[in-house]
Amino acid sequence: MTMGFRWWRRRGTPDPLTARPGRAKRDEFYRAIFRAAATRFPDVKLFPIITSIGLIAATTAALKLLHSVLPIDHVTLVFLVPVMICAAQWGLVPALVATLVAVAAADFFFYPPLYTFNVDDPRDIIDLVLFSCVAVVTSELAVRLRNAVQAASRREAEVRDLYAFSRRLAACTKPADIHAAIRDYLSSSLKTPAILIVGAEKPAQPPDEPLGLPDEIRAAAADLFAGRNLEPRVIAEPRGRHVWLVRPVAPEELDFGVIAVDLGTQTSSGLDAIRQRIDGALADAAATLARLDVARLIEDARQRAQTDLLRKALLGAVSHDLRTPLASIVGASTILVAAPSIRQDPRLRALLEVLHDEAGHLNDDIQNLLDAIRITNETVQAQAEWVDLADVVNAAIERRRARVANRRVDVQLPGDLPLVKVEARLIEQAFGHVLQNAAKYSPLGSPIVVRAAAEADRVVLSVRDEGIGLTREEIEHIWERSFRGARHPDVNGTGLGLWIARAFVVANGGTIEAVSAGPRCGTTISIALPVVPYETEEAEEACDA
Amino acid sequence: MPRSSHVVLVIDDEQQIRRFLRAGFEIHSFSVLEAESAGEGLKAAMLRSPDLILLDLGLPDMDGGELLERLRAWSDVPLIVLSVRADEHEKVRLLELGADDYVVKPFGMAELLARAHAAMRRHVRSSVGTPIVRAGPLSIDFVNRHVSLDGKRISLTRKEYRLLQLLGQHAGNVVTHQQLLKEIWGAGHVHFTQYLRILVRKLRHKIEADPANPTIVATELGVGYRLAQPEPAAPPIHAPERARV
Repeated sequence: MTMGFRWWRRRGTPDPLTARPGRAKRDEFYRAIFRAAATRFPDVKLFPIITSIGLIAATTAALKLLHSVLPIDHVTLVFLVPVMICAAQWGLVPALVATLVAVAAADFFFYPPLYTFNVDDPRDIIDLVLFSCVAVVTSELAVRLRNAVQAASRREAEVRDLYAFSRRLAACTKPADIHAAIRDYLSSSLKTPAILIVGAEKPAQPPDEPLGLPDEIRAAAADLFAGRNLEPRVIAEPRGRHVWLVRPVAPEELDFGVIAVDLGTQTSSGLDAIRQRIDGALADAAATLARLDVARLIEDARQRAQTDLLRKALLGAVSHDLRTPLASIVGASTILVAAPSIRQDPRLRALLEVLHDEAGHLNDDIQNLLDAIRITNETVQAQAEWVDLADVVNAAIERRRARVANRRVDVQLPGDLPLVKVEARLIEQAFGHVLQNAAKYSPLGSPIVVRAAAEADRVVLSVRDEGIGLTREEIEHIWERSFRGARHPDVNGTGLGLWIARAFVVANGGTIEAVSAGPRCGTTISIALPVVPYETEEAEEACDA
Repeated sequence: MPRSSHVVLVIDDEQQIRRFLRAGFEIHSFSVLEAESAGEGLKAAMLRSPDLILLDLGLPDMDGGELLERLRAWSDVPLIVLSVRADEHEKVRLLELGADDYVVKPFGMAELLARAHAAMRRHVRSSVGTPIVRAGPLSIDFVNRHVSLDGKRISLTRKEYRLLQLLGQHAGNVVTHQQLLKEIWGAGHVHFTQYLRILVRKLRHKIEADPANPTIVATELGVGYRLAQPEPAAPPIHAPERARV
């Protein structure tokens, strides 16, 4: 640590660029000495050295006083006490200084001839040398012990900080909380004064930058956000000589922000240690941010599911509320038909037919609306099963009997049509719309031909009419929602039929296309469905056994 | 079939549906009981022992399946489900739980009556034991395992006969794919719908006048098959012009 050096600089050293020339020379001298000392002994501090000297002086005075009353040999033994105190309190350098001063003091004040640095008795020299050796060795031991104790308590503090930090992270529910936690943790545990976390929301503009962020650091952070350099970087700020660490909070996720830490003036070994601690803390924070992200996704999904449920409930209610009265109307009309007085009156009968048919149309329209909402809001998923297309065609014609009653529907299906794996109801609906469309846009009494043919990997079901045909432009638009042919404004409809047909065919893995030679040349709409190969022979055998 | 004494129990929470059903059944000489909820319906079924129950899906107080299970625990009374089109799975589930048939809203009175009579005949058959079931030109002799078409005996494979027998036991009512597959091929094959499709094709070729346009074995899309039984219960709305094909 360089606290002492910094302490000196803070008090005394003016900036070389701003200092006046007269003082500059003197300052230069001191600085040279201290720079040399600082590079040799990075831990040297001035105050402990002075105090050490003072301690030896006090010990000497006390010994001198004692000596006048009670002469003692081996005063050097007593000097070991302040030397040890210095070593334990301030480290090796003050202890060595204290040893030197103690040797000098012992020689000067206690070994004859007194008050000179000379020594008469050679044993005294040995005594002094031995003292020096013992002092140095015990000081070294004391310093090691002191360092070990200091390291242990520092680690304890670190662990405590880290524990508090992870507890705080665990309670975080917003990225902003995590950013604040990182900031607080690094400032308190690393004692690094300036930490910047650039918010994820507005990467280009750091929202909460502390005052005094150097331009170089700001530029490096912007660089990171621009994706030019994602590696953590150590940048020296040229003017203040501070070193900054600039890195993303999470290595892969720029959205979590960028952090800039003022590391002060560091040696490279100190830098490595501090970077390791920052890495550890940020790994925890990034994990928590990732967890929050997952939580956010879960929350989103939950909300979507709720919306879905609500929509389904609403749809169910609407369909129920519309259909219940409709069921009564249709049911009642079929009862009335049986009444003798109505059966005998053709006018009343016709009226009842209108009632019944219109209610039927209304029911179809409700179904179309529900289908349209389903297609718009969710992907239609077919519940596929093996289906005989002949059944589908028959059911569709049966259900639309009234609508195609005045056209000659000619069904030509080969008896050995392969089975298809589709949801029968969806294909019935799709085919029904195509059929209904053919009836709608073709003259009364005209033929509608329904054909099916097996191809290599699909079955093509086609509906051909001799109606109004399609223009080139209409062919492009007939599959769009709510498209109505402009040439025939008198034909009723919502424009949903073919759109629904297409959605249902596509949901079953099929395709649908329209072909027309042009206006008044009729139209052919083909539904192609994939044929999933199955063991025909096995099925045949299963039936014959 | 004597119709004077039949009692029908309508379990439906919608008043307007109950009202038209009451009118429709009373015209056809049924006496009608009404229940607004499943609980009330179960109670009425127990106390009044109706000849037929109409059960609406989506009662507020109990799931239709639960009601059926409770009812079927002690009663074999004919039961028709009134459903909406979207309830495909629910329909099949209830049929498997023992409902005789279903109609989809909106339905005509004639259709409902046909289903109801078919279900009541099934009930009578199962208690009395009727050896022969007829469907148009077809007659199935359960005792001798004979099938004849217009009086002429036709030969069927074992599985074809089994299929016809199952449909004949519920003549006029739907039998689900799963029920048929389970009875014919066993419980391990309930998802092999393709077997059933092929078997039905083969059967239709033997008994239908026009196999492409079947009138005896009718398909209920997504649900099952039904042995059609012409029922002269009520005139259809579009009586004269049935000029299809």
